[in-house]
Amino acid sequence: MKRLFTFALLFVLATGMVWAQNEKYTKAMGDGINALLAIDRSKPDPKALVEIANRFERIAAAEPKEWLPKYYAAYANVLLGFVAPTLTEKDQYLDKANALLKDAEGVAGKPNDEIEVLKAYQSQIHLAADPMNRWQTDGEKFQGFLQAAKSINAENPRIYYLEASSAFFTPEEYGGGKKVAKPMLEKAQQKFTAFKPESGIHPDWGKMETEWMLSQTN
Amino acid sequence: MKLFYCLLLFVTPAVFAQKSIQGKVTDHRGNALPGANVFLKGTYDGGTTDANGVFVFLTAESDTATMAASYVGFEVFEKKLNLKESIPVMTIKLEELANELNTVVITAGAFEASDEKRMAMLKPLDIVTTAGAAADITGAMQFLPGAQRVGEQEGLFVRGGSGQETKIVIDGMIVQNPFFSSLPDVQSRGRFNPFMFKGTSFSTGGYSAQYGQALSSVLLLNTTDKISNNGLGISLNLANAGLNYDYANKNQSVSAVVYYGNLRPLFKLVKQNVEWLHAPEFKGTSLTYRWKPTKNGVLKVYGMYSDSHLSMNSKDPSSDTGEMRLVLKNNNAFTTSTYTDSWADGRWTLNSGLSYSRNKDNMTWDGVNFDRFDERTQARIVLTRLLTGNNTILFGAEAHAINIGNGIDGKMYRLKDRYTAAFVESEIYITRALAGRIGVRSEYSSVIGRANVAPRLSFAYKTGRYSQISLAAGQFYQNPDYRYLYLNKSLKYERADHLILNYQIIKNQRTFRVETFYKNYAQLVREFTGQRFDADPYRFPWGATNNGGDGYARGFDFFWRDQKSIKNLDYWVTYSFVDSKRLFQQYEQSATPIFISNHNISLITKKWFEKAKTNLSATYAFTSGRPYYNPNNDEFLKDRTPAVHNVSIQASKLQSIKGNLVIFYATVDNILNTRNVFTYRYTPDGKTRYAVGPQSYRSFFVGMQIMLSKKAKVEKDDF
Repeated sequence: MKRLFTFALLFVLATGMVWAQNEKYTKAMGDGINALLAIDRSKPDPKALVEIANRFERIAAAEPKEWLPKYYAAYANVLLGFVAPTLTEKDQYLDKANALLKDAEGVAGKPNDEIEVLKAYQSQIHLAADPMNRWQTDGEKFQGFLQAAKSINAENPRIYYLEASSAFFTPEEYGGGKKVAKPMLEKAQQKFTAFKPESGIHPDWGKMETEWMLSQTN
Repeated sequence: MKLFYCLLLFVTPAVFAQKSIQGKVTDHRGNALPGANVFLKGTYDGGTTDANGVFVFLTAESDTATMAASYVGFEVFEKKLNLKESIPVMTIKLEELANELNTVVITAGAFEASDEKRMAMLKPLDIVTTAGAAADITGAMQFLPGAQRVGEQEGLFVRGGSGQETKIVIDGMIVQNPFFSSLPDVQSRGRFNPFMFKGTSFSTGGYSAQYGQALSSVLLLNTTDKISNNGLGISLNLANAGLNYDYANKNQSVSAVVYYGNLRPLFKLVKQNVEWLHAPEFKGTSLTYRWKPTKNGVLKVYGMYSDSHLSMNSKDPSSDTGEMRLVLKNNNAFTTSTYTDSWADGRWTLNSGLSYSRNKDNMTWDGVNFDRFDERTQARIVLTRLLTGNNTILFGAEAHAINIGNGIDGKMYRLKDRYTAAFVESEIYITRALAGRIGVRSEYSSVIGRANVAPRLSFAYKTGRYSQISLAAGQFYQNPDYRYLYLNKSLKYERADHLILNYQIIKNQRTFRVETFYKNYAQLVREFTGQRFDADPYRFPWGATNNGGDGYARGFDFFWRDQKSIKNLDYWVTYSFVDSKRLFQQYEQSATPIFISNHNISLITKKWFEKAKTNLSATYAFTSGRPYYNPNNDEFLKDRTPAVHNVSIQASKLQSIKGNLVIFYATVDNILNTRNVFTYRYTPDGKTRYAVGPQSYRSFFVGMQIMLSKKAKVEKDDF
């Protein structure tokens, strides 16, 4: 009886440790994601973003088999690529995001629509850093990544959000503008309503931005 | 016993005594790096440095751990820690990764325009938005430091060199006929559209061992590998109408162009100084195909064909009527295919190419046959190996088969040259601030049965975060002009030695650059006719020839560009000075050649008006007087033409019409209607002098480009 009890206890302990480890990961990820959500989108604080990027990078280093920490670290670096003051710094963050995405792709093992979407976002921000010289190459890349994401999962709402935002910020003279973006944003909004992330720590960004842009089109 | 289990239960979440780890992260100079990530690898424990570069974090780890510090743009730092002992406050110094601000680039003699390089001093789109350049690649290059403008001839005249001393190279392949067929005293345009190229590198000397057969300069054009999907486009202007179509899928793309041109309508509107009997009429087509068979491999095939027809009365003082009737029909074909690939994470790169060009001029002068024919087949392969620390070494070889025919007074002269070359070049970074490039090139030409070995050397040293000095030197060989070789195949190579010193500072979208050079010319071909100097540039060199000529060119040039001080205004100023003398061709004594102008100044401005979606550009170009031959002056080539002034303006406007993008453009060249003179010639008796000037004085041009696709996105610099 005592032996059985010992075994049972040991079993509980062992699984408990695994569970604790898992919980620690989920919690750390959840904290990081909440910190990301807390960032003011209209005026992101670079310091806070660096903090968040670092946090995800640490998780990524500790959990080499998970693609999500790398994904979020890349996402934070893309945002930094947008807010950094100089072109050199922007590119450093964006290059880092690229490297992280490559790692994430390797860990994920199979084609992943969220990674393709983030690659598209990376190209969009890369383009925005120096539009005169990059619109052509990055524009093609942006479209290519979104196409790849669509072929994996056409229901991913972030695909439509990025398409719409690209149109939204393109001046009317060049075939863009709020009018053109409106139906695209509406489509993105529909997709967001139908979308259920796989878990609490899977990508689920873009809805807020879509709604803000939509409010600007009226 | 129970107590034991209870203890065990409490112990698992492990709240051992936590250890504090603290320190500071700096760069190698000791400057704090805020925002660096410091952590224990494999754990969640770590922190971010604050504004003073200071970090502090707690860990429960009690064994050994690897501490890592990372910062964007810096190399990752790692260190093993023994957490059983107490950890002192640490200072971690990070090494910067190589980037364009801390790594030197070899720039002496190189003037780059590319999409990729952020520091490029001239972007490809600058070519089409520069007033006075007429959207012509060499037209825009003429405004760069080191170039001299010679209005009545085509080609790039660089630092005392003639137009023949510059080779134009597309993807490593020499272009045999880069310009439309040469006409007497009319500057021909280049055959290639600036939008074909992603990058242009204009060398003012001291160029790489990868290229040869150019005493002065190479203009390197690299075709774009981007796959565009612009759909159908239409271009319409006063001189021609064209259609272009792009189609791309994931790994392949095709672009096709057809055009028809006729200068008659333009000549009706713009007064011509040339008496045209048949205004130039031309048609052509080109096809580009790109394929990505592997991850890094790209195959590009480009083919073009054009033909043209024109006739004019050319001034010829030696004929009875004072003019001669020229009829020219030209057929030109050029194909080039290149394959590039890389393996082993980019450690090996292959560049290979195969090209064929064929050009035929059916030409008569007062009915007498002066046909020209040439063809060139060439193959090239270059293998580059990337070594540690960004050092590279490359090996390459090329082979050309050239056949040339030239009808002179109805008699056909022919020439065959089999030319081979091999080269090796290494780029070495001694430190990030000091780099060198050492190369050697060896050539053999069958027509003269001779070989040569030419060393090339350049160094660059970074003097500050935004500034650097560079030095380049080398030997450059070129076959004598083929016209001499028809009669004398025992001639040697002509040679030039270059020495160039350069200083540049690029900061915050402002560029300042100064370069000084000395060029020595040796083994230049001299011709002895036993008669007086004949200034006719189109005469056939029938005299005896040897390599007894020599010469020099020396000077300096300045370049200043500012894209920052005034919003949406971009301007640049160049000044080039050259002093040169040569003993060559028919020259009886050493003199400044007729294509030399001592001073060349250009001022280029561009302003973008956001509201009107309009770009305005204005250019002023000044070229000081050039020597000309006056048979009545005892001193050889002592006379000078007046200086040439030219002010031109250009406007382009973007407009969206029913979802299609339209670009309108208009230019006025020589808006002040200056009666420029390029050179003077004399009648054979030496009594009458006449001026050779531009084809027209003030002239204008209008046109538009329509992109029939919503996919076509155009930004401010895309026209």
